[in-house]
Amino acid sequence: MEVSVKGKYTFRGGTEPPQSKELTKKSAIRQGPASTQVAVMLSQHTGAVCQPIVKKGDHVQAGQKIGDSDAFVSAPVHSPINGKVKEIALQSHAVLGRCPAVIIETDTENNPPKQPASSKFTNSFDEEKYSVEQICTAVREAGLVGMGGAGFPTRVKIEPNPKQPKETLIINGCECEPYITCDYRIMLEWTNQIIAGVKLAKKAAGCSRVFIGIEDNKPRAIEVISEALRNSGNDDIKVVAVKTKYPQGGERQLIKAILDKNVPTGGIPPMIGVVALNVATAAAIAEAVVFGQPLTHRVVTVTGEAVANPGNYYTAIGTAVGELVEFCGGITQKAAKVILGGPMMGIALADLTTPITKTSGAITILTKEQIGEAKFARRQTACIRCGRCLEACPENLSPTTIAHAVKNNLLDVAESYYLNACTECGCCSYVCPANIEITGYIKTGKILLAGQKKKIPE
Amino acid sequence: MFRNITVSCAPHISERLSTRTVMMDVIIGLVPAMIAAGYYFRIHAAVLISTCVISAITTEWLCNVIRKKPNSLGDFSAVITGIILALSVPPGLPVWAAVIGSVFAIAVGKMVFGGLGANIFNPAMVGRAFLTASFGMLMTTWTVPATINRSMPVISVENQVDARTQATPLAWSKQAIKSGRGAETVNEQLEAMFKGEVGGCLGETSVLALLVGGAYLLIRRTINLHIPLAVIASSAVFAGIMNLVNSDAYILPSSHLCSGGLLIGAFFIATDPVTAPLTTKGRWIFGIGVGMVTMLIRVFGEYPEGVMYSILLMNAVTPLIDRFCKPVPTGGRPNVQ
Repeated sequence: MEVSVKGKYTFRGGTEPPQSKELTKKSAIRQGPASTQVAVMLSQHTGAVCQPIVKKGDHVQAGQKIGDSDAFVSAPVHSPINGKVKEIALQSHAVLGRCPAVIIETDTENNPPKQPASSKFTNSFDEEKYSVEQICTAVREAGLVGMGGAGFPTRVKIEPNPKQPKETLIINGCECEPYITCDYRIMLEWTNQIIAGVKLAKKAAGCSRVFIGIEDNKPRAIEVISEALRNSGNDDIKVVAVKTKYPQGGERQLIKAILDKNVPTGGIPPMIGVVALNVATAAAIAEAVVFGQPLTHRVVTVTGEAVANPGNYYTAIGTAVGELVEFCGGITQKAAKVILGGPMMGIALADLTTPITKTSGAITILTKEQIGEAKFARRQTACIRCGRCLEACPENLSPTTIAHAVKNNLLDVAESYYLNACTECGCCSYVCPANIEITGYIKTGKILLAGQKKKIPE
Repeated sequence: MFRNITVSCAPHISERLSTRTVMMDVIIGLVPAMIAAGYYFRIHAAVLISTCVISAITTEWLCNVIRKKPNSLGDFSAVITGIILALSVPPGLPVWAAVIGSVFAIAVGKMVFGGLGANIFNPAMVGRAFLTASFGMLMTTWTVPATINRSMPVISVENQVDARTQATPLAWSKQAIKSGRGAETVNEQLEAMFKGEVGGCLGETSVLALLVGGAYLLIRRTINLHIPLAVIASSAVFAGIMNLVNSDAYILPSSHLCSGGLLIGAFFIATDPVTAPLTTKGRWIFGIGVGMVTMLIRVFGEYPEGVMYSILLMNAVTPLIDRFCKPVPTGGRPNVQ
């Protein structure tokens, strides 16, 4: 299959928020805090919640599996540290509210900080040493999930499926959210590891070509990865510099930009022969397959004008957000919001004991000025039907119609305007002059509609 | 330590844009037309514009008090309704009629429906329609601009009283259609119509001022090109066809574009987002409809001018247009299970 870009390097709609990457883009990845207590959530992925396989009082090792599930769409969880299980209790979760977690406490003498594996990878990597079976099993046992945010179990994603062959692998290095630079830094610093992971994923999924999509505001990353690919002589892996626009990093938008194909509404990319993976997930695949290392740490960008020492930190999963923020010098007086994620799709936290999960890429701490007076105070007017939200929607929906249908409890109308096709990117609320929380209404509508449907017996 | 942090829904940042800044841009876009009105019609312009704006603001404030809703004057939409209404009436309209028109425009055109965003019809056009129906004579007597060239031909019109009141280019055009000749006299006035030295409503006369204001709105992205272009193009095509059929009876497309409320309608009234369709396709249909109906009335109807009625008619059809132009998601319609 020819490795050529059929798309126009961009997609319809979207917005251009200020990128704000200067705060952390030059910060090399550093060690995060050495925690004495971590809370490993039993649900860090889409799919069935894990059951704990340890109990209170058990001693655990770093890398030991502590939760698993028999369901097909699921991923096990592991302890990031040596320690003792303090209890299995509910912890604050940004989306689910509360979720059970295994809380492990330790002392720092027993815990040398885990180092990233990047130095162990060279630019010559032979994926032929590993069979498809080995790759898939290693990925499953390591508990890998999509680290770009969706948390979809990676083994399920890359496993070959003869009914839906995946010809094209797309690696997502876009990082379109403002402020976040964790993927950028790993592209610069863990280059060989990422390429090794890409090759392993390509082999496992049976793809004949790979495109690595990177937004054009990261010329260094594009250069570094292209150079590494040239040196390893891979013709079927190509770097594509796509136009910087939010949300180019959404997989549906990236597939459109590169291949000029639309993923069917309510469907998944394998339906059109494509599979998409985040660069951090690719790097994790390499570490899991080659060294058997489970996913217990990730790079988290701590950023925003209201934190003392912004940077990119290699953090143990289960570390409390508050602890990580304290490690970075704490928040200043001007802080108005502590967001888990970026400013467009991240969740504002009330409880800073919320632990970092496998999908937490950033903690963004914003001041009132950055949020904007009108938005901070939530001063809204009625919708003036200006149509800007329709122009900005990357899925070509009518956000204001859906939001107002939900507001007036007309969930069937909301559904007929394709409520469930919304990817919750936030472009509509971003451009709204009336400052209406359109995304918020749509999210609420989805939950209400799902709840309503459950009550109707089939 | 973390006492002052706020929790609310994503996204947490937004464009520095508000309903008020959008409305302010429209007001700025109307400034050239207001200046032209002041230059050509002197005291009439000042009196009418200020009367309409003050009446509109007062009516909205009073309606909010009666409805026990918070004061909504901060969004400036009442100011725009007042200005547009003033610019759409003849310069000689008495102050008391202007007050009644503004009160009706705001109270019945907007507040009765539920305030900003809830009205179906453009409030200024609702006010003007009420005035036309109730005080027909007052709404069809036009004073000439103070700077008009005295040698411009005078075509007799039933209601003409003296040399200071005169017909507008559209009235001449209607005369030409009825008598089958005389269209060239209107066509010859093109330069005067461009500058604004003709009779007409306060804000309609100066094509130049309206184009400058329209360009400002397009550059600032307050409006899209779709509606103005659709209105202008469809009117021009219709006029062009009629002109080809009989150039003695039907004036040139350029004359149609530069006369009456077509340009102020195209850029400022038809583009009112509340009463126009949401989608691009819908807006094209809306604009073509406005252009076609305006020309139907101007050419085949009894009235010399049709912009107000065409806009009100298309406003009524807007919900239907929206229903037929439902946007399809990029991934196609989902399969019904």
